[in-house]
Amino acid sequence: MAKLIPVPKLGQSEETVSIVQWHKAEGDEVKKGDVLFEVETDKSVLEVESQFEGTLLKLVLPAGKEVPVMSIAAVIGDPGEEIPPIEQPTAAPAPAPAPAAAPAPAAPKPSAPAAADKVADAPVAAAPQPVAAPVAAPAPAVPQRKAVSPRARKFAGDFLIDLNDVPGSGPGGRVVERDISAYLDANGYHDRKITPAAENLARELGLSLLSLTPTGATGRVTISDVRTAEAEMPKPMSKMRQTIARRLQQSKQTIPHFYATVSVDMTDLIEFRKGLKDKGYTVSINDFVAKAVALSLVEYPEVNSTTDGLTASWNSHVNLGIAVSIESGLVVPVVPDADEMPLDEFHAVARELADKARSGKITPEDMSGGTFTISNMGMLGVESFGAIINPGESAILAVASAMPMAVVNEDREVVARDMMKITLSADHRLVDGAMSAAFVNAVKAKLECVELWEEEIA
Amino acid sequence: MGNAYDVVVIGAGPGGYVAAIRASQLGGRVAVVEREVLGGTCLNWGCIPTKTLIAGTDVLHQVRNAAAFGISVSGDVSFDWAAMLKRKDKTVKGLRQGIGGLLKSNGVDVYEGTAAFVDRHTLAVTKADGSSEALETKNTIIASGSDSAKPGFIPEAENILYSRAALALDDLPESLIILGGGVIGCEFACLFAALGVEVTVVEMLPSILPPVDKDVSRVVAKAMSGMGITILTDSKMSDIASDDESVSCTVGDEELVADAMLVSVGRRPVTDGLQLHGIGLTVDEYGCLPVNERCRTKVPGIYAIGDVTGAVQLAHRASAMGICAANNAMGSPDKHSDALVPGCIFTSPEIGAVGVTEAEAKEQGLDVKVGKFPFAALGKAQAVQETDGFCKIIADAQTDQILGVHVVGPHATDLVAEAATAMNLEITAAELGRAIHAHPTLAESLMEAAHAVHGQCIHMPKSRRRK
Repeated sequence: MAKLIPVPKLGQSEETVSIVQWHKAEGDEVKKGDVLFEVETDKSVLEVESQFEGTLLKLVLPAGKEVPVMSIAAVIGDPGEEIPPIEQPTAAPAPAPAPAAAPAPAAPKPSAPAAADKVADAPVAAAPQPVAAPVAAPAPAVPQRKAVSPRARKFAGDFLIDLNDVPGSGPGGRVVERDISAYLDANGYHDRKITPAAENLARELGLSLLSLTPTGATGRVTISDVRTAEAEMPKPMSKMRQTIARRLQQSKQTIPHFYATVSVDMTDLIEFRKGLKDKGYTVSINDFVAKAVALSLVEYPEVNSTTDGLTASWNSHVNLGIAVSIESGLVVPVVPDADEMPLDEFHAVARELADKARSGKITPEDMSGGTFTISNMGMLGVESFGAIINPGESAILAVASAMPMAVVNEDREVVARDMMKITLSADHRLVDGAMSAAFVNAVKAKLECVELWEEEIA
Repeated sequence: MGNAYDVVVIGAGPGGYVAAIRASQLGGRVAVVEREVLGGTCLNWGCIPTKTLIAGTDVLHQVRNAAAFGISVSGDVSFDWAAMLKRKDKTVKGLRQGIGGLLKSNGVDVYEGTAAFVDRHTLAVTKADGSSEALETKNTIIASGSDSAKPGFIPEAENILYSRAALALDDLPESLIILGGGVIGCEFACLFAALGVEVTVVEMLPSILPPVDKDVSRVVAKAMSGMGITILTDSKMSDIASDDESVSCTVGDEELVADAMLVSVGRRPVTDGLQLHGIGLTVDEYGCLPVNERCRTKVPGIYAIGDVTGAVQLAHRASAMGICAANNAMGSPDKHSDALVPGCIFTSPEIGAVGVTEAEAKEQGLDVKVGKFPFAALGKAQAVQETDGFCKIIADAQTDQILGVHVVGPHATDLVAEAATAMNLEITAAELGRAIHAHPTLAESLMEAAHAVHGQCIHMPKSRRRK
């Protein structure tokens, strides 16, 4: 009996997804657990494994097409078996219910993002590498149709022009043949020269000749000119990138950011960590920072809250989002109840989530419910930076690199110390300057007090 | 004023004298300095002399093969090596005088001697008699060329030859070992084999003519074997020794002995005596002078062209660079690219090629279509009884742009000119196929190969393999 394979619903919020890449072709044998295809949601790219064994009889959904979740992607069965009729969901399924896992705030959150929508805090400075994930070729952009007479359309077919640029003089602004002749003459189309191969390429890419600039000595548009224009053409970003863009813009435009920076003397803690490592107790500097933040959030609950400008919602848990840069963008896995976790447990949980993120196995659930985010660019050699608040939270901490600096100590002597700048970006509607200052200094005090950690670990 | 120039060119080879004439055409006061003779390696010890001699062997072949055309030749057909050399020398001398005349008519001053940089704008020319003269110049174009590479493991002996000496042999050896199956090695192998010399070519790499399209080199290797040439590939040579009678060496487990050995293992740039360090110029790890696409070195006002810049060591490339450098030096910006330099190899059969090979296309991840047409299917080739070889066109699958043309067969070196022109204009295979080619000509092979790119060859049976 042939099985219909749907594109599974991977999170709670997405309604449409697209297949990025097929790992199997029609006629291929499929074993249980084989990766059938990769699907891209606005969070991540995930591999979908087969639950069945058999032959891939029909590949229904081509890569790159955006479809509602639960659309039928493929049919698996015995070779030669009849393919049952396929009914595709036409509309997006009903909106997902509010995720139960999210610490449901009592007060309404007008912009309350579905928890799974939480993708990135994406400090602007940390712009990740260009998207390398195979993104399906965009369908050629279809500009809104202009009314064009069939005869004019046929005539225009001989030229490399964009019909939308042609002013229409026919009834209702319709473009007629003489409009095209006039447009060609008025813009000096016939004086433009292009090599035959370049013309083929431009036609294929839908580039108009008038948009191409010849650079060679001959004054003809060459292949390299068309390639240049192609490289400069706008191309759709990956869904993840688009989500990052939307959320960052939303945050920066709706949340009045306020910044407070302190320098933390990390010398002793770095030494202390080294000692731990030698004893086989492995934790990272980031774990200390996260734990110091979690403890400080308990002391300053405003920083762990949310506001819409009219109401303030306090979060009773400290769920720490840790920004992780991955190949195709940025994701923010969340460590729930980070304040209650011992340091080594925090290390293990954070490590596992980061590994999952980097291997593309992270699920929307792993990224939901955050109440505060840390963005650590310590390994990237920056002196300091300011991060953008993750919508739905009221602050984010930007952690820069620890660097040896000349510092004046208590005895007014210049000494070399490993200094690390941390910058809090806070929602000024909820968190005032004094609160921000107190918070960053609370974090600083914890990181500079090795005794605290000795107790914590002992 | 006397010795003050806009451009001084060092070297009067096919790069240098062309650069000098171009700079003069643009209104410059120009001098060229040459330490040997006008025309450089190309005219005196390279392209022209070898082709003059090969023309002789072609005649010999035609006469010996006359019966096949219904022509009877009575008496003994033989050749006179000394007379062939004399004809070569006469041809070279005539052309050399021609260059002298061209330079003179363009008002270019010629200095005989070795140039050395004193500073960026001053050159000292040392003449044969030891006297020296200083030239002031705004720009200098270095066109000092190259010389045969002479690796240290090869002993010096009278019967161990490099290309220059091989063109001035008093007597032909009975047997010859050629070390290096590149362009020069293979051309000499064909030349000497046609004159009855027993030739063995030893090449280190898996095939002869390494940069050439594999289908092409296979045809030539087969033809060379047919001429009685022994080709040893994947073979390293060691223990080279010479007494005055013969040369011996070890290849694999075998000992080879012959009357003489020709070493053709590449050419090295010549920069000795130029005193480059005086102006802050250094050569790269291969001894070459790197230049940018405007043929500029890293020192302002100093250009370099041709073999001394490395990469493609061909006369016509040097000439093209010479024009580019002269244009830039005289203030009309120009760029040079090595992408479409045609290669011509005068083996028998000949090879003409321009653009990428199939292997290179694959390496670069290009999506290409290939069309191939054999000379055997062409009327003109049958008429002249030269049916070995084919024409192959590599086109971009997306745009149909012609990316590479490889011809092996009769007059391949001439035929490739059409391809080079077409490719400079970025013509598509479809358009090359549409251009009417006169019948009956060997050039029809290009048109047919262009048709073949789209599986629409007229003069080939329909292939079952193609879709």
